[in-house]
Amino acid sequence: MFETARYETGRRVRGTVILIVAIGLYSAFIIWYFTVLDGIEFEDVFQDLPPAMLEAFGIESLSTVEGFLGAELYSFVWVLGLGLYFAYAAGGIIATDIENERMDLLLSFPISRSQLLAEKFASLLFPIIVINIFVGSGVYVFVSAIGEAVDPMHLVLVHVLSIPYLLVCGGIGTVFSVMVSRAAIAERGAIGVVFVLFLVESVVGGADEYDWIQYFSPTHYYEPTPILIDGTYELIDSGILLVAFFGLLLLSQILFHRRDI
Amino acid sequence: MAPIEVDNLTKDYGSVLANDSLTFTVEKGEVFGFLGPNGSGKSTTIRMLLGLLKPTSGTATVLGADIRDEATLIEAKRRIGYLPDQLGFTDEVTGKQVLDYHASMKGDSRRDELLEIFTPPIERPIREYSAGNKRMLGLIQTFMHDPDLVIMDEPTSGLDPLKQEVFNEFISDECERGLTVFLSSHVLSEVRRICDRVGIIRAGELVELEDFETLLGQGGKRVRVHTSDGATESLTALDGVVELSTFPDGVQFIYTGEYNALLGELAKHDVSDIEISEPPLEDVFIHYYGGTGTEGVNRGGDTDV
Repeated sequence: MFETARYETGRRVRGTVILIVAIGLYSAFIIWYFTVLDGIEFEDVFQDLPPAMLEAFGIESLSTVEGFLGAELYSFVWVLGLGLYFAYAAGGIIATDIENERMDLLLSFPISRSQLLAEKFASLLFPIIVINIFVGSGVYVFVSAIGEAVDPMHLVLVHVLSIPYLLVCGGIGTVFSVMVSRAAIAERGAIGVVFVLFLVESVVGGADEYDWIQYFSPTHYYEPTPILIDGTYELIDSGILLVAFFGLLLLSQILFHRRDI
Repeated sequence: MAPIEVDNLTKDYGSVLANDSLTFTVEKGEVFGFLGPNGSGKSTTIRMLLGLLKPTSGTATVLGADIRDEATLIEAKRRIGYLPDQLGFTDEVTGKQVLDYHASMKGDSRRDELLEIFTPPIERPIREYSAGNKRMLGLIQTFMHDPDLVIMDEPTSGLDPLKQEVFNEFISDECERGLTVFLSSHVLSEVRRICDRVGIIRAGELVELEDFETLLGQGGKRVRVHTSDGATESLTALDGVVELSTFPDGVQFIYTGEYNALLGELAKHDVSDIEISEPPLEDVFIHYYGGTGTEGVNRGGDTDV
């Protein structure tokens, strides 16, 4: 049990470390930049932006460190960047092995297809969790270092609640991964879908007539800025994300079980 | 129950009928060669036996497990070794890491012993491996859990001649201990050396097993001769010369006659270069069946099966 998950996780260590360093450096830069902007009435600059733009990048209150982080780090890196990254990574989990014919060997092991898929997906939990822990702690330290404060509870929430969202992005990638036999197509398809859902949610958010469309986007159920500023979140949103994730995983299992390799 | 029993196994891709009602049995302790030109459907059969592809109709059992029943097939796989045609090991890990992973899935009671026979550089990453090293690593993972049945798709491709000999010896030793081997190949000489029995697949259909003896007996040799004195005419006049083709200062043909007659004739001429080799299976098929061996399979499209 879990041999495949262990092996695949081992292969993700290097990439995860690189991501943590990169996002950590970006966080440090953003937090330092906040001190530079301190005292400048730059919120006026954003007044003229279309509401959809403000919504898309979670721009609410840039004069507080929470609002600034919510917009510049979490909406940008977590919702968009990591969302796309995990869609991409999950897009490769099965399709890559089918493309380079490694799947032949994997399925000659005494292991069911469903277990293989589940364990391969489980290897994504490692970067999802570790990035959240390390960058989250880093952000707390950096913010303290510039003499500001962010509510640690809010910070924990923004990271914990991102996990169901990232799982859904991974779930979308997994469906693509079992459907096609070429990794590049699965990866691009998954990135495309997550990006389009992100755009759609931002665009229709302001239009009453079509606002039902936004309910199809996972980004609608995870909004880091309000969580950071005042700790507001709906548990039902995370519930919906988890149900969607299990639905996507089940769909992947059925498709993978039926297909010829 | 025999280790492999194939019963009317059919795989129809729509555009290609890759396997057409195959029926055969592989008995315990034998080396069964599954011979056919490239694209004749060998890999399709093997992939169905391992549950990678679902048969369109018919079925097969491996070590008693029905290939359509995932749960029983998984149990059987604990006692099966498999060497695929393409070895898609992950590039960035070392050979040792690959073997460790395989060991955790199915056991490795014979790893050390096998590493003395086949010698890939297991401390180096796979991306630095030559084709031969990859094949040796593949052979080790195939046998490391001491399987009862081994299924191999083109097992010696990439191995140098010395290692091929080692492989042949190893297989015959293992079979004396009761191992059953099912291997596919498109190389007549390879199959001839190690197989007890052979099934020939052509255009997705199994050609009668008995025919192989005839095929072997009369398969002949491919002869390619360069002469400086235009010996072409007298050579081609020999009995048993078929599939003749000429090129500047030389001639190539398949020779199925008496070797002494050929050598006697060659000795009379000034031969500047000569090559006598096993004829490619495709040529043998052309000679005996009057086709390329793959024609009739494709109903459109260029699918590699």
